[in-house]
Amino acid sequence: MLAVSPLRSAKNDRESEMEGFTVEENGFLDFSGGNLLDSIDFDDLFMGINDGDLEMDSEILAEFSVSGGEESERNCTSAVSTDDSGKDDKVSVSVSASDLGSRSSSLINQGEEIVSKRDMGHATVNPSPEETHDSKGRKSSAQSKNPLGKRKVKVDWTPELHRRFVQAVEKLGVDKAVPSRILELMGIDCLTRHNIASHLQKYRSHRKHLLAREAEAANWSQRRQIYGAGSGTGKRDITPWIAPTMGFPPPAPMPHFRPLHVWGHPSVDQSFMHTWPKHLTPSPPPPQPPHAWPPPLHPLLPPPSADPSFWHSHHHVPTPGTPCFPPHMPPTTFPSPTVQGIAPTGMYRVDPVVGVPTMPPGQTLPEPPVDFHPNVDSIIGDVLSKPWLPLPLGLKPPSIDGVLVELQRQGISKIPPSCA
Amino acid sequence: MASDSSAQYIHTVQHLIEKCLTFDMSKEECMEALSKHANIQPVITSTVWKELEKENKEFFEAYTKKIEEKASELTETTQRLREILLDSSQKDTKDG
Repeated sequence: MLAVSPLRSAKNDRESEMEGFTVEENGFLDFSGGNLLDSIDFDDLFMGINDGDLEMDSEILAEFSVSGGEESERNCTSAVSTDDSGKDDKVSVSVSASDLGSRSSSLINQGEEIVSKRDMGHATVNPSPEETHDSKGRKSSAQSKNPLGKRKVKVDWTPELHRRFVQAVEKLGVDKAVPSRILELMGIDCLTRHNIASHLQKYRSHRKHLLAREAEAANWSQRRQIYGAGSGTGKRDITPWIAPTMGFPPPAPMPHFRPLHVWGHPSVDQSFMHTWPKHLTPSPPPPQPPHAWPPPLHPLLPPPSADPSFWHSHHHVPTPGTPCFPPHMPPTTFPSPTVQGIAPTGMYRVDPVVGVPTMPPGQTLPEPPVDFHPNVDSIIGDVLSKPWLPLPLGLKPPSIDGVLVELQRQGISKIPPSCA
Repeated sequence: MASDSSAQYIHTVQHLIEKCLTFDMSKEECMEALSKHANIQPVITSTVWKELEKENKEFFEAYTKKIEEKASELTETTQRLREILLDSSQKDTKDG
């Protein structure tokens, strides 16, 4: 079967005139010189086209010959794939139309029309996608290697890149962030809108996931209040609900609470390591469940001097006045009578009723008689026993003196062990 | 030194507060939780919270807004659910 491209300049001597236009072909058209269009050998063009259901209009021919007069100032960055050379008479032409004069491009389009019709199974031609892609900032050289124009350049989402992405998104507003705007804000050429779009999608789904979890957890405390306010008048069903919906593993120290860190904050290295592990190489990740996108609570939080090293190291720069607690510091025994308060139950309380509103008729939402904080004990226990752990949000610490003064005003001197 | 342990203590309270913040708790909820589970006097929690607020004004502004929105949404939803249940249960008793 014959694959014919009217633009084909089989020989590389064409290239001097058509830069970047490389054709891979079992060339049978031999252009001796002159314009490409002039050189189109129409006989050859028609050769073997006979059996095709080709709408070979004379118009097209006319087009060819007319345009023959212009050797354009064409830097044709159309390229043809070089694969498959041995196999078929396959011609794939991907053309950056923007580089071509309009006539040439229509010519090419028509030519490719011929090609595609002629050799539908073989030639893979896609002028238009390339045209649109080109304007998105993708380098032509990258394109020129694309046989189909559909292959995407793989983007490496480094932390730095991602940080800029997040900044751009936050600036626009997560829901309103549009890939093209993000791209603009980021100002990086090697990114395409498509890359951004897919990254944005991932980012959003993770955010949702996180916020949902947060919301769920927060709901426990909210629910308590609400149920307390509206007492059930109907019969209460005292089935021991073990809060199945929560999905919290009973005795375990709630590992998945830990990863709720703010993205991008210095003290966050543990959690976001998991999704973008390739890029972050700080201390070895603790055995936490991979938790991709910690609640991007606040872009305000990361210190204005967003030092890239924060991404990589877990160095919490202590502000004057704060106790230094770098990981390697021996765990300070801290006068913690407060620890006593934490019954090392680890077990969350199984309250008689959890108000899931799927009640048999005749009942209203029951109220949990007891405080419903399933995992608070373990969380708190964790914090108390491991003071060197990084702060989940890493807020700027309060001024110690301020606190002390304030407390003294209230009649409290620090370290209230005795007042437990 | 007393000051060291104070500083350490305050740090711990801050840590716990931050944990609460990740659960969208209010200051009062936080005070209660910490008192109940960590034996931290509510006044201490509240003081540290306030100081944190001073240091991180923007954060807390946004935070407060967020939880207020959530709370109102939740209340609304719950209310609606109650109504629905009430409705359906009434219907059932009628048919019953």
